[in-house]
Amino acid sequence: MRKKFVFVMMILLGAVLLSACAGGALHGTTWAGLAADGNTAYLADAAIVYGISLDNGRELWRFSPGDDNKAQFYSNPVIAPNGLVIVGSAAGKHTLYALDPNDIVSNENIKSPVAKWTFNGAGGPWVAPPLVTGNLLFAPNSDGNLYVLSLNDGQSAKQALKVVDLGGRLWAKPVTDGERVFVTSLDHGVYAVDIETYDVVWHKDVNGAIPGSPILGPDGMLYVGSLGSQLEKFDPATGNHQPVLDAENWIWSTPGLEDDTLYFADVDGNFYSFNTSTGQPNWAPVKPDGPITASPLIQNDHILVATESGSLFAMDHDGKVLWTEEVGGKIYTTPVAAGGLTIVAPLETDFYLAALDSNGRRVWTFTPEN
Amino acid sequence: MWDLFVSLFINVLLWIYDVIGHNFGIAIILFTILIRIVTWPLNAQQMKGAKAMQDLQNDKDWQAIQKKYAKDREKLAQEQMRVYREKGINPFASCLPTLIQFPIIIALYQSIIRSLASTPLDLLKLSRSISLPNVSDLIPLNSNFLWMDLGRPESVAIFGFALPTLALVVAITTYVQAKLTMPASATPGDQSAAMSNMMSIYMPLLLGYFAITFASGLSVYFITSNVLGIVQYAMQGKANWRNLIPAALARKK
Repeated sequence: MRKKFVFVMMILLGAVLLSACAGGALHGTTWAGLAADGNTAYLADAAIVYGISLDNGRELWRFSPGDDNKAQFYSNPVIAPNGLVIVGSAAGKHTLYALDPNDIVSNENIKSPVAKWTFNGAGGPWVAPPLVTGNLLFAPNSDGNLYVLSLNDGQSAKQALKVVDLGGRLWAKPVTDGERVFVTSLDHGVYAVDIETYDVVWHKDVNGAIPGSPILGPDGMLYVGSLGSQLEKFDPATGNHQPVLDAENWIWSTPGLEDDTLYFADVDGNFYSFNTSTGQPNWAPVKPDGPITASPLIQNDHILVATESGSLFAMDHDGKVLWTEEVGGKIYTTPVAAGGLTIVAPLETDFYLAALDSNGRRVWTFTPEN
Repeated sequence: MWDLFVSLFINVLLWIYDVIGHNFGIAIILFTILIRIVTWPLNAQQMKGAKAMQDLQNDKDWQAIQKKYAKDREKLAQEQMRVYREKGINPFASCLPTLIQFPIIIALYQSIIRSLASTPLDLLKLSRSISLPNVSDLIPLNSNFLWMDLGRPESVAIFGFALPTLALVVAITTYVQAKLTMPASATPGDQSAAMSNMMSIYMPLLLGYFAITFASGLSVYFITSNVLGIVQYAMQGKANWRNLIPAALARKK
């Protein structure tokens, strides 16, 4: 009898422990996606996309796909010029949704935006936000394909105009110089795709996976940080490239650009400033208080750096800390600035969003009611 | 402490993955063989413990106290403990290796999920687990093995239905291994045999459920471990193949 009890307890313990491994005490399985326009912050967190008023932090609406109860959102939503909020699911049916915040329906006191169109043609999770340029959407997916969609064809079930097979997992938003679309991949590749023919113009590899977006510098060159711990400079026309700065560890996020200076960080928590004109660092890296995966947020007179330790640092252009705010939890998502506020989406806190004023003082927090 | 344990698994897996030419499925199989070698003394102890318990069922002294104290459970338990002491038997010796399996399964599951890093948070956690030099070249790992994505539960679409083939293989090999290692019982009402019988039913169901629910890399571990167990018992001549034949058929023979 005692052995039977031990055996049953052992099985239950194993099942509970193994099940616990699949999730965690987070809102979702990874950090949330965040975007904002003049009035609204858009938070993609686990199974729900929220629209939140920037005035008071109150929920305006929420979107949870009725036909896909396994959907998970964590890519940054993208606000198209026509006002549609485009966000993809990283689980379930891997659908890309175009939500219309101006067309709200109510059901049992829950307000939801109507999905004007959906795209179900991708085979993997949506981690990267799409790039909107003109009437086109360039949407990189974890299945290694770049999907080119028309924004305004009036179709509610979108078909891709073109599927460009690049390879690897595509986790970062592309950028464009007007002639080419530049896409980075976890397979270590940087790709340039012709914006009209959708042909791959060039493909070059670096020495590590690239989870962040590239950025075009004022010198017309393309800069890319990678898990190979190097910042590399690419000629956008030919793809010729060379490392310009060695970091201490993985460079996760997209660098921030102000004038001719790139600001970026590594996962050891070092924060760098690189002058694209001189090709030299402006100062020795500074180390706030923890690993950094969020991109720096360039403000008028300072740069905001969010750390995994849950802090927000405001630095001047010499790397001197102007003020610090302990937001709480862990900050991985790049903060956004809108409506005179800085919006932060930390993990492992009892609130999902915090809005800070220009001095780092907390204005409101957002926690969903249920 | 637990994180160190998982990190150790990750680094060994990554090292094997690097050495064998970037095949994560083969890395899991080789890693399982390594675990079987490391836990060999425990398996040997389990087999020894099971054999001792089985022999005890046929012991005259043991049978006598079962009969004598059939209606006094407390006294029966005391007498059983006395016999265990006298004969130097640990009644839980055969359970220990199974208990050891669970932390290994959980750590392996976490190390597979973290190594394959299907979400940004998993990839970031992976960066903290790696102590091997120059490993960033390897990342991301190739999660494809045969028809599977090792980071996701496996199923094969057959006539429109998603059939969890790997889970079935896990359940079958677990059942076969459990049955092969079950000694034939001579005594009716033999507690040890009843316990083994129960395990041979519940364990395949449990591991089959794990295989359906969790990453298929874990199923590769289960299947490899089961097959190795079967081969190990067979090579030692301890596999009881008659147990695979249903009882009714066995009686007819």
